[in-house]
Amino acid sequence: MSAPSVAVSVEGLTKAFGSIRALDGVSLTVGAGEIYGLLGPNGAGKTTLIRSLVGLITVDTGTVTVLGRRLPDRAVLAEIGYMPQSPALYADLTVEENVRFFAAVHGLDRPAAARSTADALEFVDLSPRRRSVVATLSGGMRQRVSLACALVHRPRLLLLDEPTVGVDPQLRAELWRRFTTMSGEGTTIIVSSHVMDEAERCGRLGLVRFGRMLAEGTSAELRRLAGVERLEDAFLVLSESRP
Amino acid sequence: MSGRRAGAISLRILQQFRHDRRTLMLLFGAPIILLGLFYFLTGGGSSLPAVDVVNLDRGPLGAVLAADLGQSTEINVARTTEARAASDLSADAVAAYVVLPADLSARAQSGDVIAPTVHLEGTQPALTQPVLLALDQSVTRASRNLVAAEGVHVPVLEPSLDYLHGGPGLDTLDYFGGAFIGLVVFLLVFVVTIIAFLRERSQGTLERLMASPLRRADIVVGYIGGFMVVATVQAVEVVVFTLYALHVHNQGNVALIVLLTLLMTLVAVNLGIFLSMFATTEFQAVQFIPLAIVPQVLLSGIVFPIATEPSWLQVVSRLLPLTYGVDGLRDVMLKGNGLTSGPLLLDVAVVVAFAVALIAAATATLRRSAS
Repeated sequence: MSAPSVAVSVEGLTKAFGSIRALDGVSLTVGAGEIYGLLGPNGAGKTTLIRSLVGLITVDTGTVTVLGRRLPDRAVLAEIGYMPQSPALYADLTVEENVRFFAAVHGLDRPAAARSTADALEFVDLSPRRRSVVATLSGGMRQRVSLACALVHRPRLLLLDEPTVGVDPQLRAELWRRFTTMSGEGTTIIVSSHVMDEAERCGRLGLVRFGRMLAEGTSAELRRLAGVERLEDAFLVLSESRP
Repeated sequence: MSGRRAGAISLRILQQFRHDRRTLMLLFGAPIILLGLFYFLTGGGSSLPAVDVVNLDRGPLGAVLAADLGQSTEINVARTTEARAASDLSADAVAAYVVLPADLSARAQSGDVIAPTVHLEGTQPALTQPVLLALDQSVTRASRNLVAAEGVHVPVLEPSLDYLHGGPGLDTLDYFGGAFIGLVVFLLVFVVTIIAFLRERSQGTLERLMASPLRRADIVVGYIGGFMVVATVQAVEVVVFTLYALHVHNQGNVALIVLLTLLMTLVAVNLGIFLSMFATTEFQAVQFIPLAIVPQVLLSGIVFPIATEPSWLQVVSRLLPLTYGVDGLRDVMLKGNGLTSGPLLLDVAVVVAFAVALIAAATATLRRSAS
């Protein structure tokens, strides 16, 4: 299978934690090179859905196929970059040591890891701080280090769980320009958010609530579907359309 | 000072305790367990050290003395031959054997000193004292009866002591040095690993590693590799300091001491990874010290000989890795045993088995998928 046009295919996913149904029959298809936004309030199931795409969740029913491989599949994880919601970093290491570690973990050899680390730090605009210990950085900077760790191995699929929380508007705009560039180069990006101006930048959006996919489409399609002008209003209308 | 504000803090602390059941169990459960252990170790229901008695006396005193030793509340006596007793001692089946010489009665009757020979194993000072005490009590009782009957003086007891290992030249430090090398290294490496691995879990980096192509075994082996580098330096430092700065007695191979110490470290690293799964905060991890470490220290034979524990507690002792590490280090340092010695090989094999089992357990606790 050469360069499949479908990057992620999820069918009928359910997952319960005790009595809470975190995912309740979610299906989703994301094409290669797409930027797909997952929208929804806190606790809607966005994080569970993203975690199930990197095999961190054993689903109860349903299938997850990523880059042509049915999960669980350890090898395909080398081609996925995952940025968790809270910046999971080694606080006692420097910025560069953190990023280089995750490069090595994803199988890059030393010269390649050094090159990719420099590139990734350039990408998140942290090259001048590369020798700073992470514990001394602000929250926004840690978020950027975390992003660098997620994309240092140049994954074909990038999963970003609320990547721009605590990032100032200027840098957020800059990061989104770069996401767009990456997607133009063929990287598939799935990003969860509840910031509406970010959602506008996604190619397609999925509205998640109560573990279900309530609506899917471009920003314009969703607004038309809800019969409103602003995406935020569409979000509210569509959220209430079904319990 | 404001009573209300201080009261708010007190109340909050009580609320936190209420939400932290495990800490409450520790505070109220651990003292009972530890004090209970102490009770059993210091005499309550404990076993008596086994001692062989060999009676070669041609007169009456030997038989009376041997019979009286059989009633002793300090030691558990069996009567046997000298050859059998010697092999029991070298096999560690008895703590000592006492030989009552052929001229025992004759010398007692002539008012002379009596000199039974006490053959001691020698590496467990705590086992020497009950043997001498029992002998002293029995000589006094037995000869008092004979004094009344035959009108002789109470003889002076001057047992001659013979040590299989060690001997009177060893001091307390020599006995405990080897055991403490194992204990210190085991304890420190365990604490450092459990905290390090717990941070890996709590800061979310473990989840990141699980989302990468790493195998679970890669993570465990990686941890072992990193910690063993530091642990090797530590083991060499501790052994060199113990032997050459503190001049603790050693008659074994230094490399073997380092090897045993490293094996203990390997067990400690994996025990740390494994137990980190059962803690969610560093606070809870530290709580494993009284729960997982202190009982091991009490039960591993470092201070209280395993032979004198109640028999059910001996079973527990035999299930603890530190027991075998300590025994192995004593075998090397006090007995000078090498890898050709059966008991030492057994200790090494058991420690290795613990290490392997804990590596498997540590790997198994690293689930790629969250439940």
